[in-house]
Amino acid sequence: MNNTKRAKELEEIILKHSSPAGRILSILEEIQEREGYLSKESLKYISKRLNIPLADLYSLVTFYSFFNLERGGKHTITVCMGTACYVKGAPKIIEELERRLGIKEGETTSDGIFTIKSARCFGACSMAPVVRINERIYGYVFPESLPSLLKLYGWKEK
Amino acid sequence: MKIRSLEDLEEIAHRGIQKIKGEKIRIAVGLGTCGIATGADYVYTYFENAIKDLTERVFLTKVGCFGYCSEEPLVKVTIPGKPLTILSKVNPEETEEILRAVLSGEIPDKKALCKIEEWNHITEYMVYGKGLANIPSYSDLPFFRGQLKLVLRNAGLINPEDLEEYIAIGGYKSLHKALNMKPEEVIEEVKRAGLRGRGGAGFPTGLKWEITAKNESDEKYVICNADEGDPGAYMNRNELESDPHAVIEGMIIGGYAIGAKEGIIYIRAEYPLAIKRIETAIKQAREYGLLGENIFGSNFSFDIKIVKGAGAFVCGEETAMIASIEGKTGRPRPRPPFPAEKGLWGKPTSINNVETWCNIPIILAMGGERFSKVGKENNAGTKVFSLVGEVKRIGLVEVPLGTKLKTIVHDIGGGSPSGLKVKAVQIGGPSGGCIPEEGFDTPIDYESLRDLGTIMGSGGMVVMSEKTSMVETALFFIGFTSEESCGKCTPCREGLKQMLHILHKILSRRGSEEDLKLLEELSMTIQTTSLCGLGKTAPNPVLTTLRYFREEYEGLINDGKD
Amino acid sequence: MVKIKINDQNLYAREGENILKLALKEGIDIPHLCYHEIFEEPYGACRLCIVEVIKDDERFITTSCTLQAQNGLEILTQSPEVVKHRKILLELYLAQAPNAENIKKLAEKYGIEKSRFPKRAFVTDHLNGKCILCGLCIRVCGEVMKAGVINYIGRGPSTKINTPFFEENPDCLGCLACVNICPTEAVSAEEVENRKILKSWSETKVKMKECKNCGSLFTTYPLWEKTKSLLMEMDTELEELCPNCKRELLIKKLTKNLPLPKPY
Ligand SMILES: Cc1cc2nc3c(=O)[nH]c(=O)nc-3n(C[C@H](O)[C@H](O)[C@H](O)COP(=O)(O)O)c2cc1C
Ligand code: SF4
Ligand code: SF4
Ligand code: FES
Repeated sequence: MNNTKRAKELEEIILKHSSPAGRILSILEEIQEREGYLSKESLKYISKRLNIPLADLYSLVTFYSFFNLERGGKHTITVCMGTACYVKGAPKIIEELERRLGIKEGETTSDGIFTIKSARCFGACSMAPVVRINERIYGYVFPESLPSLLKLYGWKEK
Repeated sequence: MKIRSLEDLEEIAHRGIQKIKGEKIRIAVGLGTCGIATGADYVYTYFENAIKDLTERVFLTKVGCFGYCSEEPLVKVTIPGKPLTILSKVNPEETEEILRAVLSGEIPDKKALCKIEEWNHITEYMVYGKGLANIPSYSDLPFFRGQLKLVLRNAGLINPEDLEEYIAIGGYKSLHKALNMKPEEVIEEVKRAGLRGRGGAGFPTGLKWEITAKNESDEKYVICNADEGDPGAYMNRNELESDPHAVIEGMIIGGYAIGAKEGIIYIRAEYPLAIKRIETAIKQAREYGLLGENIFGSNFSFDIKIVKGAGAFVCGEETAMIASIEGKTGRPRPRPPFPAEKGLWGKPTSINNVETWCNIPIILAMGGERFSKVGKENNAGTKVFSLVGEVKRIGLVEVPLGTKLKTIVHDIGGGSPSGLKVKAVQIGGPSGGCIPEEGFDTPIDYESLRDLGTIMGSGGMVVMSEKTSMVETALFFIGFTSEESCGKCTPCREGLKQMLHILHKILSRRGSEEDLKLLEELSMTIQTTSLCGLGKTAPNPVLTTLRYFREEYEGLINDGKD
Repeated sequence: MVKIKINDQNLYAREGENILKLALKEGIDIPHLCYHEIFEEPYGACRLCIVEVIKDDERFITTSCTLQAQNGLEILTQSPEVVKHRKILLELYLAQAPNAENIKKLAEKYGIEKSRFPKRAFVTDHLNGKCILCGLCIRVCGEVMKAGVINYIGRGPSTKINTPFFEENPDCLGCLACVNICPTEAVSAEEVENRKILKSWSETKVKMKECKNCGSLFTTYPLWEKTKSLLMEMDTELEELCPNCKRELLIKKLTKNLPLPKPY
């Protein structure tokens, strides 16, 4: 993205979130929503514009696990690692995913299609184990059912 | 239209009733997060297509979650004059058949879970009708029998995206009542009810309000803690998804009592549906004049803003939450000063849990005196638990405080699904502990749970069977709290890291008795010296498993010896 | 005034007075790492300053830096409970910052020779294996110097302190307040040719200002700029002061009384 275009978008976001409570989090969340991650350039812009030292902003975005400083894959697969899912075998799902996709948790496949992440609980414990792909939550996911699930997102078994 | 009076409210209630039990057949699909995860949104779409030409006769709508999650997707069908029936495990392919039966005035028996002839919404009493003899009654099902739905009285029955339905079941009448009382009287009522905070610690809500009210300031705030960080707990999510107006109504009443003009709902980003529903509800409440200037034509004004969390468990702690709302990292600060004195932007602030807020309209409707009789002495009211894990019937369970643990696990939950023995229940999430089967006779109240070494927490209840290793469970929780520690104070940041190390050592059979001793000593120090509740309670899963399942630790140590 | 008791000593205090501050003033030794008197608000991170409070039949442990004087308050600074927990904390510190000399000394004082916890493993460490994450450098840089060069990065067990993106930070004043406030001498900086290099902070370099007359490097460039603008602001205030007092007042304004390295 070129600088003027970025500046215009960021200004729009800044203006949209004007009331003080939760302002900075909302701005960062919206930037990430639009761009997929928080780029160094965007953070520097916000730092200057809102008069927050860059060190503080960087501290903020590395504190909260929701923020990404790197661009993720086209599809983000998030495995719930909450208690209920853990008890019902979530670690095995991560293992299987890592094996199938050939990447580790937190990484993105080299073709840029899939990112594996884990989360702390989607509150869908009754369907444990639970996996979220992009915005959709899938319940009762077991290692055996992963291939068919992944195929819905264009994955091809090698 | 702006609602100005009780008459206005009644006029809207009338419109809402037409939707809930009017002349049309009502088909309501349970569309909470859990419903959707099992395909309820497809069920809805199939119905939508099927009734395209039948809208004169059929009213299709969305409702929240009725709590019986292992039976999802749930569809509630109301044929005028007949009981409301709940159909379970509905497939999209079955929608046509269901529709055909319903149109001819029948309920497909094999899909029917139970029926409801009349329902107490507390704020209103709803009579649906009698009949359908071969379908069991709601209260005959073991899952519902021991339950008392106060907080969840509307969940799964009304459309959470329709203010008119909430008003139809008596919504916002409590607010009207409160606004005709003096703020002190409202606080008095809440005190009389004996309500204690449902966010974990059980602090008396009325007292917290009173302190906040007495601290003079030009500005004050109320905050709804919807961060629900405990893994395995999802009642707050459901309360927001299924009955958002109850939370809003509670907050307006609280704002009035305390003297706050602004409320904030701090909600975790992992709950997109709850965020959407609460946003819709706020918008509607504004349109109808229930939020904004001069509510009910009084001179009280109040509005609510949503702040989304960004994935940090510690932000459920009140001082961290305030820092987070102010745009800082969520690191707790020492208390005092408490938020009631110096909260958001340094102003007096009352932070309460979602479920605490949900209870407020109920208290106003029932009266504090009557509310206080529910439950147990010093533990008034009900509590919602999410019953999950190795248990047959999974879902949200609301029981009067003082109910025994075994009632929930065995009677309501039906014990283990696999024939394995139930070994323990984990209560209170990462701050709580594991209670062994021998402790299942304990009544669930704040004090009894504390004596067992755990806490009420927000209500997560994970059942574990004999195949679950307690040491691994402890490791899981310490791993959780360690990663979620804010890193500010040393005992929590460094101590949990070392606990994790020792637990790994024991699990890989390299541990010794000294390690066990060190684990205990370290636990005590972390508990005693940490800055905030996260660190103070983080050792609980280790301490309780050491207390009740020590032989598992010792077994691993002895295994390593030979 | 209220009456309080620390160990066997009866003392008078202002109501609400900070107990740690008071105790230190009275010569009562309470170990502490994250407390510094230039900050009004206690931070409560290091937890070493714990004491035992005796209240009626109740006894509990709390940090003295967050404790306020109240009539009848009675505390013990070295009770067995306090010592027990403090020792575990010191063991944790020894593992976390194995190179910090004053931690070793303190631990020795409590009879600890070796920590039972494994030492933090590192090959290189920009803070020399000495940082205990007390946060003082961050606070002095942000709150006092208003420079905001460094901050925590990440959270929990992986918390670090450094500049954003681990890159040189042009906001640095080169005042070395962080170096001087650090209780464990973890932050390192050096002067090479005409620059100050904050080695710990991603090798941030700050240019020095040389005297137009003799050519000696008398301060850093950003500090000089800051002083200059302060001077202009304080024009009338300084008018009637002698050079010495002028200098003192300036430093005071610049640093809020912070014990800075010798004035250049
Ligand atoms: C680490 C930590 C996490 C917490 N998480 C939550 C939470 O998710 N929801 C909540 O209501 N309270 C949580 N609390 C408790 C809150 O700090 C606070 O006590 C509560 O919101 C008060 O509301 P109540 O009086 O209605 O219970 C947490 C506390 C700690 C120490
Ligand atoms: S106890 Fe843990 S979470 Fe709480 S302040 Fe200390 S480090 Fe942070
Ligand atoms: S570098 Fe020094 S002052 Fe900064 S946090 Fe570490 S120990 Fe404290
Ligand atoms: S000096 Fe009190 S906690 Fe550090």
